[in-house]
Amino acid sequence: MTDRQYIIGEFSPASDDDLIICRCEEITKGEIRRAVFDGMFNICEVRRLLRCGMGLCQGLTCGRLVKSVIAGEIGLSATALEDATARAPMRPTEMFIFAKEVTDE
Amino acid sequence: MRIINHPILGEAAPRKNITFNFNGEEMTGFSGEPIAAALRANNIIIHRYTRKFHSPRGVFCAIGRCTDCVMIVNGRPNVRTCVTALEEGMTVTTQYGAGGGA
Amino acid sequence: MSFDLMVIGAGPAGLSAAAEAASHGLKVAVFDENALPGGQLFKQIHKFFGSKEHKAKMRGIDIGIELLEETDSLGVKVFLNSPVVGLYKNREIVVRQKETVRHFKADSIIVATGASENLLPFDGWTLPGVMGAGAAQTMMNINRVKPGNRVLMLGSGNVGLVVGFQLLQAGCELVAIADAAPRIGGYGVHASKLTRTGVPFYLSHTIMRAEGRENVTGVVIGQVDENWQHIPDTEKHFEVDTICLAVGLSPSAQLLKMAGCKMSQNGTPVCDKSGETSLYNIFAAGDVSGIEEASSAMIEGRISAAAAAKKLGFISEKSFQKRSGELDAALSELRQGMFAPQNRNAPLEKTDEGFNISKSLLKKGYITEEEISEYPGFKPGAGIRPVIECTQNIPCDPCRDICPKGCIKVENIVSLPVYDENTNCTGCGLCVAACPGQAIFLTDDRPGKVEEGKVAITIPYEFLPLPEKVGPGMAYDRSGAPLCPAYVSKIQESAFLGKTPLVTFVVPKNMAMRARFWKAV
Repeated sequence: MTDRQYIIGEFSPASDDDLIICRCEEITKGEIRRAVFDGMFNICEVRRLLRCGMGLCQGLTCGRLVKSVIAGEIGLSATALEDATARAPMRPTEMFIFAKEVTDE
Repeated sequence: MRIINHPILGEAAPRKNITFNFNGEEMTGFSGEPIAAALRANNIIIHRYTRKFHSPRGVFCAIGRCTDCVMIVNGRPNVRTCVTALEEGMTVTTQYGAGGGA
Repeated sequence: MSFDLMVIGAGPAGLSAAAEAASHGLKVAVFDENALPGGQLFKQIHKFFGSKEHKAKMRGIDIGIELLEETDSLGVKVFLNSPVVGLYKNREIVVRQKETVRHFKADSIIVATGASENLLPFDGWTLPGVMGAGAAQTMMNINRVKPGNRVLMLGSGNVGLVVGFQLLQAGCELVAIADAAPRIGGYGVHASKLTRTGVPFYLSHTIMRAEGRENVTGVVIGQVDENWQHIPDTEKHFEVDTICLAVGLSPSAQLLKMAGCKMSQNGTPVCDKSGETSLYNIFAAGDVSGIEEASSAMIEGRISAAAAAKKLGFISEKSFQKRSGELDAALSELRQGMFAPQNRNAPLEKTDEGFNISKSLLKKGYITEEEISEYPGFKPGAGIRPVIECTQNIPCDPCRDICPKGCIKVENIVSLPVYDENTNCTGCGLCVAACPGQAIFLTDDRPGKVEEGKVAITIPYEFLPLPEKVGPGMAYDRSGAPLCPAYVSKIQESAFLGKTPLVTFVVPKNMAMRARFWKAV
């Protein structure tokens, strides 16, 4: 979903907007919904704006939930949306550890 | 909260009792068990308070994935207590926010 | 450092893959992020379903020990505390070990990273006391600490049912199992084990909110209609300190995605029959390639490993065909029956044999007396005999294999077991203990053995404390309702029973087909 002109109607508040979706960064359903109405139709854009999925757990917990909130607002099934990009490191790793990379094996 | 005898797993194997420090209070646990298990056995279930909403968090996945149970351990913040082994004399502290203020 | 094969994940699929490959002569390394190998196997303290070749009636924990012995004896190198943080299509991995990262290469890679628990957000779901069902399992079965005292389980799939039972075994109170779906998702026999102990099911109910300021002190559930919308004024409140979520699993396929494997829309990698992904010599096995039981994961691991061995020239095409033929046959057996992946959304109405599936079992977690009498395993009569309350087609047959007298017939692996009345049941109780669904009972009214007008009922009893012999107690029916006073006449424990003690209690004869549980008073 990259067509930013796609019209999904007016944002209207919902009773569960205060629900926390991303537990690490404490991003609510309302914030994610608002981002979708602002034209961000995929996980990568939403996470760059809100940081959902970029906390300590790296989206291992909320990835699917964020996806389903976005899909729900656009009116798509969650499987139709791309997952967030998967890239190293897959587990949180401090920078000093990378600095000590063993390369001569 | 300890399961001493279990219908399938049998009696708990003897483990080494050690002391650790939680928020200034001396507590006992078993050497090598996850910090979170020792805390649960001492009826401690709040591990941290979040940065934005200051809400309490505890064990959620127990396998090191969700990072909800992180605490300050021996002065180092963001330690996943569900997969970090308890050691004699460890200092375990409730984490507030990112733990930088400790 | 380089290997013929690297396996990522030391769970059931990964360890099986490693063992299989090493048995064909490959130099194998396994990497796992945890401090102990076994993945989730060591939390699985229940008996597995299936047949002998699927290690049926063994507990996951014992299968885990066996697998580790196998990989050890074959010289598999297992790297623990070694999270794989990167996977590249040239079959190179980056591993974090202590305070450094290292690179490893192999000719072949099997990714067996398993799955993670799905979650469900609701008001209060971040409170301490709300946790995944797997978390509760880790706390009680690995760490040997109760996750809480009073628990509500959300989700009636096999995970919810099995963990629910394990909570009872750990000494916790399970106040209810709720599920938004209109029917119980897991095996009927798993549900029945809970219902007869008094655990209620709330189908078409979901969590409205968790209560508490600093931690969970209660939970409110409410009914939903067929469109999952809340029906007003249907709220039920429970005082609990723990809420467990068992709302499904999702493949942990991020490494495969990162490497560039072609992915399907449901988040699993696109694989061929041997589990090979779109990337040459990179395989996926176990839950990461699609959620199933651990028994299937173990076979998938072996299939991928055999294929890797053939591709690398360690085994001939001919011996590969033979081995993969055996493994494929074992796997397809497990993929039969009404809970098989391909039947996941099919309505449960009739068994393969044409019997009606109990509606009560799907809604309330127990079979009514009218319904149970329909089934072929249920043959009330005089003397001593098994009463088999197995009413859904699940691939499982230990009851047939264990009976020394051949009293129980199971036509094919998913057929409902039948008691053959022309045989001589000796009342050994092996079938009662072997049934992974704990759905077999013995009734005994032999004169001289049991008082006139009474019947002795033998049940599997995996709880502590065991009853006192001749201790006073109460018999309960399938729904968990008290029936009548009952005294215990016999308690059996032996290695043959596989840690499933048998308790025999005595009730009036007219309770023979009703009494299915016993509690002390």
